[in-house]
Amino acid sequence: MIACGAFADLAQTSRLPSPARLNMLHAIPTPAKHGAPTPQRQLLADAREVEGLPAALTKLQSWSDDWLARATEGIRPGASPTDRSLVAIPDVGPACEVLLADQLLRDLSPDEREGLLAWIRGQQDPSGAWLDLQGRPDLSLTAMAYWARAQGGDERTSESMVKAVRVVHALGGAQRANFIARLWLAMAGQIEWSWLPAIPAELFLVPNSIAISPARFSPWARGVLTPYLVLAREKARLHLTDASELLVRHRGQALVAPRLTRATLAGDLLQAFDRAVKLSRKLPRGPLPEIAVRRAARWIDEAQQEHGGWFSVRPTLLSLVALRVLGARSDDPRIRRGLDYLRRARGRVVIPRGVGAGREALAQGLGGTPMAVVVELIGTRPGGDATAWLVRHQLQDVGPWQARTDAPAGGWPLEAGARMHLDLAATCNALSALGRLSADDPSAAPAWAAIRRATAVVLAMQEPDGSFARFERGETDVFMRRFPWTDADLLAYGDQADATHVRLTASALVELARTGFAADDDRVARGLACLERELDTHPGLDFVTLCTLARCAGALLPEEHRMRQQVEKRIRSRQREDGSFGDLLDTASGLRALLELGHVCVQAHRAARYLVAASAAGPERFAQGPARSPGGFGLSPETLDLSAATREALASLLIYAERQARVTELRA
Amino acid sequence: MKPRHIHYDVVIVGAGLAGCATAQALALADSERRRRILIIDRHPGVHPRFSGEWIHPRGAQILDELGFYPALQAAGAMDVDGFAVFEDADSPWVDLAYSTVTGERPHGMAVHHKVLVRTLRRTIAELGRVELCEGWTVVELRRDSAGKFNGILLESNDGNTVELACDLIVAADGKGSTVRKLAGITGERETLGFTAGVEVLDATLPAPGYAHVMLGAWGPILVYPILRRADGRTSVRVTFDMPRELPAKGEGIKQYLLRAFVPFLPAPLAEQVASAIVRHKGPLEMAPTVNLPAPEAMLPGLVLVGDAGGCSHPITASGMTMGLRDAQTLGLEGARRMDAPTGEPWLDAASLRRYKAEHDRYVPTRQALADAIYEAFRGGTTGSRAIRRALFDYWNSGPTARRRSMALLSCAEGRPSVFISEYLRASRFAIGASLIPKYAASYPVGDRLRQARGALQLAQDKLGIVATVMWAQVRPSWDVARSAATREAWRERWNRISSRLSGPAPQRSAAAPPTPPLPS
Repeated sequence: MIACGAFADLAQTSRLPSPARLNMLHAIPTPAKHGAPTPQRQLLADAREVEGLPAALTKLQSWSDDWLARATEGIRPGASPTDRSLVAIPDVGPACEVLLADQLLRDLSPDEREGLLAWIRGQQDPSGAWLDLQGRPDLSLTAMAYWARAQGGDERTSESMVKAVRVVHALGGAQRANFIARLWLAMAGQIEWSWLPAIPAELFLVPNSIAISPARFSPWARGVLTPYLVLAREKARLHLTDASELLVRHRGQALVAPRLTRATLAGDLLQAFDRAVKLSRKLPRGPLPEIAVRRAARWIDEAQQEHGGWFSVRPTLLSLVALRVLGARSDDPRIRRGLDYLRRARGRVVIPRGVGAGREALAQGLGGTPMAVVVELIGTRPGGDATAWLVRHQLQDVGPWQARTDAPAGGWPLEAGARMHLDLAATCNALSALGRLSADDPSAAPAWAAIRRATAVVLAMQEPDGSFARFERGETDVFMRRFPWTDADLLAYGDQADATHVRLTASALVELARTGFAADDDRVARGLACLERELDTHPGLDFVTLCTLARCAGALLPEEHRMRQQVEKRIRSRQREDGSFGDLLDTASGLRALLELGHVCVQAHRAARYLVAASAAGPERFAQGPARSPGGFGLSPETLDLSAATREALASLLIYAERQARVTELRA
Repeated sequence: MKPRHIHYDVVIVGAGLAGCATAQALALADSERRRRILIIDRHPGVHPRFSGEWIHPRGAQILDELGFYPALQAAGAMDVDGFAVFEDADSPWVDLAYSTVTGERPHGMAVHHKVLVRTLRRTIAELGRVELCEGWTVVELRRDSAGKFNGILLESNDGNTVELACDLIVAADGKGSTVRKLAGITGERETLGFTAGVEVLDATLPAPGYAHVMLGAWGPILVYPILRRADGRTSVRVTFDMPRELPAKGEGIKQYLLRAFVPFLPAPLAEQVASAIVRHKGPLEMAPTVNLPAPEAMLPGLVLVGDAGGCSHPITASGMTMGLRDAQTLGLEGARRMDAPTGEPWLDAASLRRYKAEHDRYVPTRQALADAIYEAFRGGTTGSRAIRRALFDYWNSGPTARRRSMALLSCAEGRPSVFISEYLRASRFAIGASLIPKYAASYPVGDRLRQARGALQLAQDKLGIVATVMWAQVRPSWDVARSAATREAWRERWNRISSRLSGPAPQRSAAAPPTPPLPS
């Protein structure tokens, strides 16, 4: 496990990286290679240095160290949830499910229950709805949050609860909520099981190499659907408080049945097929369903990870319920380990918005402490025990991600302590952090072996179209998703063209460039072609994604390349009068992009001044921004990444300081 | 030192390995000491750029026959055992040992290039049958009215010039040969990239005595011992194959090597190499890697030897062995013409043609092998990666496969049948390796087909090279047969004409028609 002392040391000391370390940083695009043209050099010579830069760097490094300490607190075993802080906050969905499942699992302490309820209450919008991280009212979240509050004893006739019911009704009723919300309603006996999509049990007997096999679902979907098969087959029943007021009824008081498929001809046909499957269940089918359920139960056993959880919190909750349905007692070691995992995924947060904004509460995270965040924080201060810890946590065992990935074990997992699921985002961040080590660092030698294996893994995670997969190859191209189910998208992890995958592809290419790969390699060329395609077809890419593309272009493309010029033009056009590019994360990303494109220009100076000025306001300002990160999955595709702006500002200002030092040399 | 005579039988330009070996071979062939041999070099001492240091057993045998071997051993040269090829640093290595090749010495030789050149120059100077002039550059070549090269204008580093007459000029001045340019021999020279080299003392090698080829980084890394020092320590050379568009300059190269190459070395070698790079003062030793498809190796009065006569990527480490074979061939021709009458060139046109035929037989083979292996080891495309995996699968299939490959790689095998059978076997393994994943449990069929298609495409692309090699192997004997047939045809024709004109055919010795020029 983690060397806590090492992180305590890191958190206590706050010093700037040495000049030697600065020189090791971000060595891909250098002014020597992508030198600014002569007029820009003149501008550089005229530009005044940013006042307060060293002080800002010291502060940001100190805040980054604090975040690292908080993140690693979440990893430490034995700590109480109320002693820990979350570094990545999802929506209220997981907290609601934990509260509902506690009726069966009976694990939450009164403090924890009250803390989670406070988190749910505090997040409610004055309109009565619970919002997703984009700020839109969300039917499923509102229904689940209302139900969890009711389960927790909140008065149903209170204004906020009545408003919530109105929102649910206005959005079509709880029966139109997402698959997970309907699953809980079915388990509580509020709706019929037939209102959930039918998964033929025999599907679990299909060989893994066949396209319709559950092995081809995304890991999150596999983690949810396998226990779902058990629950649906056994018709699991939880004794939860009544939530019938959330359901919309016809005038005759009969419930309005939800549509399980999309409103197309294909959807109608599938609906008919769904009914046929459900009817066929009443016919004798021999031993196959039983065999399939046994296989699913075995999979649940095998998929429990070293840290006790399954892929993340939702699959863990459903797997625990399924285990109980299959007869496991509450003192079963699998149940205890799973509950420990859920507990470690909880922590204190400051409610970011809603009626309780600013107050502290206990939130249920989407999983354990995200490795991608920890690794990026370690990368701000490379070397020492933190690097050794990082190397120890690389994947060394064969995992399901390797089924379609022809690479040896390596890379980093989604969360610390996990051993079965690769996360390419964490792997790219780790490669970046390890790439900053100086050759004389004692931890450099083991780091090189880790870099070697991780590079092989990154290369092997490339999809045929040139993009990179995050968890498993083929995660976006799930065959069963082509059927017009309303919940079909949950079977896959996003789209190849979504911001997450574009950003991931750009990051993977940046790390490959750092390891010496160039556009003369067909894999890099395919990745670049994919990014260029996305840039052309999606003119509205978000700013942070655009900046990641710029970093990739700076590392791999010559100055005259069309994509590089296009990205640079778009970034430059986004700067505002005050020097910012939007919020703090956008500004830091914009500054870093300009610097890694090779320009220490006037726009970069202005952005740097803005960040330095912002640092005077304290760490809270950097944690406030809407730093949404697509670090989530399943029904919570985004999380609030509280330390993102701090990390990015520190990284960009470090590069800026390094470039400034070079400019001073040039001037001399 | 200035040349002592104004006429030489042979003037050799370039006193590197190929030049010195040629000089020595010719000197030994001239057992009656009737010939004057001059060897010149631009650099007093040794060439500053780092260069080849690995010699296959065939080359080591030639060095032994030329009398260099004991001196080189005494200077610290090391006997080496073969190649250890690593698909990646975590995999077991493939043992390509020289000792498995039948009919060859069991050891090659590795030696620091500067030590090698110094020792060779000292040895030929001690023998005293070759005149060595350092610090002289070729400025012009002279031709007679028939176009045959018959003289050379030299300029010393301090500006003096001297013009010499000679019967034969041997260009041994490397891949950037000045003589080749002055003679107007154009070649499609292509710079592939650069090689950077560092020396590591007492490096921990997984297979001591072997040249290690480490794959996985942008280009292959070669690690091999080069010198046994007087204090008992061993110098090991590490070379990094870098792209043509260097991603960094000056000191930045070191950071680039640390970032892009060192992680792909096994521990503890990686630490030792990193330490050597960091401690290295000044710029690293670098040399361009060049592909020069074999140019015309012979013109009247001029021959090209060694890298001047064609070179390729150093991945097969065969450049020096090829240079030594050139020297040996010229030496044999010299011995054949040992009794040539005074007034006739020592090495006449027929000797040079035979040299060219022999040179053209093995140089294209070497270039084709180097080209194919470099492309596979680089792994820049789907097909080349499939071929790389196929090579390792093939080598791991048994000792016979390794022995046959090693015979080709070490220039010990030249039979076309072996070359073509190795090509076909590698292609067959490429298909198999593409379709069966190494790690994945259920690798997508589309990916397997893409790999197989890439491998097939690459094999198809290489068919042209295979055809070139086959032609190079077959052509010399075909040429000889054709020229003999042509001569016979001329004779018969002349006899027929003569008999029609004046009765009986004239005696061949009395009125033989001039032999038509042989096709070159």
